Amino acid sequence: MTPDTDPLLEVANLRTTFDTDGGELVAVDGIDFSIDAGETVCIVGESGSGKTVATESITRLVKSPPATVTGSVRFDGEDLLEASEERLREIRGYNIAHIFQNPQEAMNHCYSVGWQITEALTIHTDASQEEARAKAIDLLDRVGIANASSRFDDYPHEFSGGQKQRVMIAMALVGDPDLLIADEPTTALDVTVQGQILKLLDDLQEEFDMGILFVTHDLGVVAQIADRIVVMYAGKVMERGDVYDVFDRPAHPYTQQLLECLPGTSDSIGGIPGSLPSPTDPPDGCRFAPRCEHAVADCEAGGQPREVEVRPGQAVSCVYYQSGYDASVVEADTGDAETSRGVGDD
Amino acid sequence: MLWAALVSFIIVTVTFVLLSFAPNPSIQEAATQAALQGGDPAAAAERERELRGLNEPLHIRYMDFLQSVYTLDWGWSQYRSQPVTEAVYEGLYYTAQYSVPWTILTLVLGPLVGLYSAANMYSWKDHAATGFAFFGYAIPNFFFAIILLLVFAVWLEWIPVVYNANAAVFSLENVRQLILPVFVLVTGSIGGIMRVSRNESAEFQNSEFMKTARAKGVSPIRAYLYHVLRPTMVPLSTTIVGQLLALFLGSSLLVEIVFGIPGLGRITYEALVAQDTNLVLGTTLFFTFIAVVGNLLEDIVFTVLDPRISYDDR
Repeated sequence: MTPDTDPLLEVANLRTTFDTDGGELVAVDGIDFSIDAGETVCIVGESGSGKTVATESITRLVKSPPATVTGSVRFDGEDLLEASEERLREIRGYNIAHIFQNPQEAMNHCYSVGWQITEALTIHTDASQEEARAKAIDLLDRVGIANASSRFDDYPHEFSGGQKQRVMIAMALVGDPDLLIADEPTTALDVTVQGQILKLLDDLQEEFDMGILFVTHDLGVVAQIADRIVVMYAGKVMERGDVYDVFDRPAHPYTQQLLECLPGTSDSIGGIPGSLPSPTDPPDGCRFAPRCEHAVADCEAGGQPREVEVRPGQAVSCVYYQSGYDASVVEADTGDAETSRGVGDD
Repeated sequence: MLWAALVSFIIVTVTFVLLSFAPNPSIQEAATQAALQGGDPAAAAERERELRGLNEPLHIRYMDFLQSVYTLDWGWSQYRSQPVTEAVYEGLYYTAQYSVPWTILTLVLGPLVGLYSAANMYSWKDHAATGFAFFGYAIPNFFFAIILLLVFAVWLEWIPVVYNANAAVFSLENVRQLILPVFVLVTGSIGGIMRVSRNESAEFQNSEFMKTARAKGVSPIRAYLYHVLRPTMVPLSTTIVGQLLALFLGSSLLVEIVFGIPGLGRITYEALVAQDTNLVLGTTLFFTFIAVVGNLLEDIVFTVLDPRISYDDR
């Protein structure tokens, strides 16, 4: 592996569809992104935009059938979508680990946390019981579980929500993964615990030098943890870039409105009017066009606009940045006109 | 443990109270006898009552009764001319011969069929397994037994019609004559177990922790065995115990009568017909004991299977 040149994970034209009674449901519609070793990339978007499906498509964790995953997912030089199920099982939990949204449900209530943490070691390595136990206790200690060695044999119901998520993190890290996929790991936790978990992930990332793919709809969390962000909407990427660039100068109208939903950034508490388009029958043109106040006729024709780089590392998929349009129409919109829109458009 | 002892104690007491109110056939018999021989029926009844200790006050009889229950002195069976414990033991010998294979088969096949159905949910395999299970669940055991006897014993003559009580336990003859009763009982008990294990495991199959397990790289077989079957066992153990006990206490009686097996069920039935109170009481006590022990086992199994259940603080 040559981390300086090749990214750790490179996803290209990833498309995940589900066969449903209502026709083909396109959850993820041809997205690209990449993660370098030791880097945190956040996928941001509102609920239902396909973030979770996208991350679960990486190791083909989505159940297929009914799901069909196409495109390419290169991890450490290997295309995971071409890999056999056996090979994927070797990678899961060892090279690529997952943490899920709801720690209350994500653990099996029949087994002790120690058993569940060491399960991945049992599967992937020849580690003896004692070695596995020692490693698990060490990890429990590092994720901040007090009296780790005595809690090894405790059961999930004996832990609080925040502790459970810490245990889940220990469970994910036991195989020393290169990539950690964290799917809204703080959403089910209260805000104080949320901050601790984010801090913990940040510390562990440095220690383990792993890439983190972090999925969230919470921009406050993004600001704390991300290096780069990918903004998703209805299965498509709207905008991507360095977290500071995107927060300071959001190029896409969707990103701008999303940022405005953050408390304290505007005078009104508005939200974005309208709702996500139908995933079985997506609109032509830009997916966001039906809800975009700047939409013109060209926005609703053809496919999602080609991504245009607005500054190094920051790219946006919006008609206004194509040649022949005046990008300042949307760029300038971070100003006064913005503040009253939430109410005005309802 | 304490609860089980208490429950069996209460049942024994209730049985005693009911019994002390019921007329005793031997006293009636003595009175009739005396009347026939020209004696005084009332005096004869009184003598018989004294002879049997029934003139003692209720609490003394109760203590005697309790003592004999727990010292396994269950009295004399007039109908079979042997001690009740011996009669129960003899019946158990035949009942166990089909109950043990039946219980084992049910415990193994029920969850497996359910899991298989859940893994192939809504496919034709699932429908076939579900259909089979419900057929066995719905059809009355004794009726199914008669039909099978008619087809396999009378028409096809593959198996003997008449049960040979002298066949050795591990002989081919015994296997042949026990196939049908075991089959009938398994089809009867498998339905409920299969249905519960199918629904419960379907729930766990789509659970978050199953996703966690898959994200760890767990193979499908391991995932089923460890992450689906194990939590399924908890609600299933209730069903299994209930289902097996209900069949053991009820249907096995009918099945024994249909197949002519001289087991516990038939002994109870014949004792009832012959008004052999001691023997009825003896088999009832035995069934009670089985039911209490079964429920106790279930409770213990609960604590082993589900760490969230604990009886420590009771």
